[in-house]
Amino acid sequence: MKADTLAIHGGFSGDSDSGATAVPIYQTVSYAFKTAQELADVFDGKAPGYIYTRIANPTTTALELRISELEDGIGCIATSSGMAAIASVAMGLVRAGDEIVAAAGIFGGTVSLFENTLGRFGVKTKLVDAGVTEQFKEAVSANTKMVFVETIGNPRMDVPDIPAIAEIAHQANVPFLVDNTVTTPFLIKPKHLGADIVIHSTSKFINGHGTAIGGAIIDTGNYDWRKGPFEDIKQLSERVGQLAFLAHLRNLIYRDLGGCPAPMNSFLMLQGLETLSGRIVKHCENAEKLAQYLQGHPNVCWVNYPGLPSSTFRSRVVKLFNGRGGGLLTFGLGDKEKAFRFIDSLKLAKNLANLGDAKTLVIHPSSTIFHEFNIAEQNKMGVGEDMIRVSVGIEDFEDIKADFEQAIERTFEVQK
Amino acid sequence: MRLVVNGNEVNCGDGLTVSELLVEQKVKMPDMVSVELNGQILRRSEFESTALKEEDKVEFLYFMGGGGAFHGTN
Repeated sequence: MKADTLAIHGGFSGDSDSGATAVPIYQTVSYAFKTAQELADVFDGKAPGYIYTRIANPTTTALELRISELEDGIGCIATSSGMAAIASVAMGLVRAGDEIVAAAGIFGGTVSLFENTLGRFGVKTKLVDAGVTEQFKEAVSANTKMVFVETIGNPRMDVPDIPAIAEIAHQANVPFLVDNTVTTPFLIKPKHLGADIVIHSTSKFINGHGTAIGGAIIDTGNYDWRKGPFEDIKQLSERVGQLAFLAHLRNLIYRDLGGCPAPMNSFLMLQGLETLSGRIVKHCENAEKLAQYLQGHPNVCWVNYPGLPSSTFRSRVVKLFNGRGGGLLTFGLGDKEKAFRFIDSLKLAKNLANLGDAKTLVIHPSSTIFHEFNIAEQNKMGVGEDMIRVSVGIEDFEDIKADFEQAIERTFEVQK
Repeated sequence: MRLVVNGNEVNCGDGLTVSELLVEQKVKMPDMVSVELNGQILRRSEFESTALKEEDKVEFLYFMGGGGAFHGTN
């Protein structure tokens, strides 16, 4: 089946008992067994079965199978958030004394997880410029246990050379993790460019409507866990082969951290996936038009959209994402005060901390999602005080443009 | 045709597909099982179109239980 079909039919072909075509919501904590022996056998690993929703749930299973199919993976674990997905993967790989090499322009929450939270446990993170591939090579050491990038850095909007960085990670014999949240498998399947683990915040484009928080971890099958530097996973691979890392998470890290999704949220992600292929195209088209409009506006100081012909990342957008630059852009009106005035003047677009919603969203990153970092740290992460981030929705473009036009006009009227 | 399923020799009809093998082997919870064919996990969408060959090694794997990832047949 092709991706558009898998997004609708993958992982669930209808309920055989009732004929229901939508995935049922198994809103249950636990699962009853007829005999004590049957439940003992499942706990003992002698028989398959659902035990407890923190470990697995049938609604969530359908979501996992569908996402895995879309990413051409060998398996998937859905999580309660994108951060839970990254935390589970990172904690499944690193120990005290180990190092993470990550792109500097990634989501601030991920940087905080690596530097602050994992830093408390003795893990060191080296942040490098995603656009300069050589920096990854220089940063990788004998202690490195994972290399992490986003397909498009948010909010820096830089596009890493994914195949080249994959090669660097693999030369060091460590897994290459790619966060595909902002591009989705409909713009890029990182597996085919060398990614070993793909991560999603499903709260964004996959959900598509801002109705539920979730995440996903996909093992692409590229990494040979039998040969990696992870002794516990290596031992598991003798029993379960390629599924060793996912089994390591399911039966230890993910199980112990408790980052499972609510069944209702898994259902909402499944609903979102069904229309993702159509939505992502319109997000990209509207974002490209808005970027061009803003670039031509006399009051706009700068626009950063990797799909613009003037972007240094345009060639990678063509090579990696088939020419589509995603649904996010950033721009500046000169200073923080104007950014605030602009946001306050918008009528259609919402000022909130999210992206990937059907609705157009804006935020002032410096004072919100990056507020915990000082100005020097923000600059390193590609965040300036005048930056406005836009997650371009799928409304009619003329309405989005009109809203931005009147808000810019009001911003500068007040200034006079 | 002779196959090795979860380490055990199994005789079955020629040209059997992976989907048919799941039924024939009465694999529990087939929607949950991962199938490894000669060391590589097979995509679920390929179960129906993948015909097995003499001496293929097939493993049925689950990684959903409380006790750990494991092999499972019936």
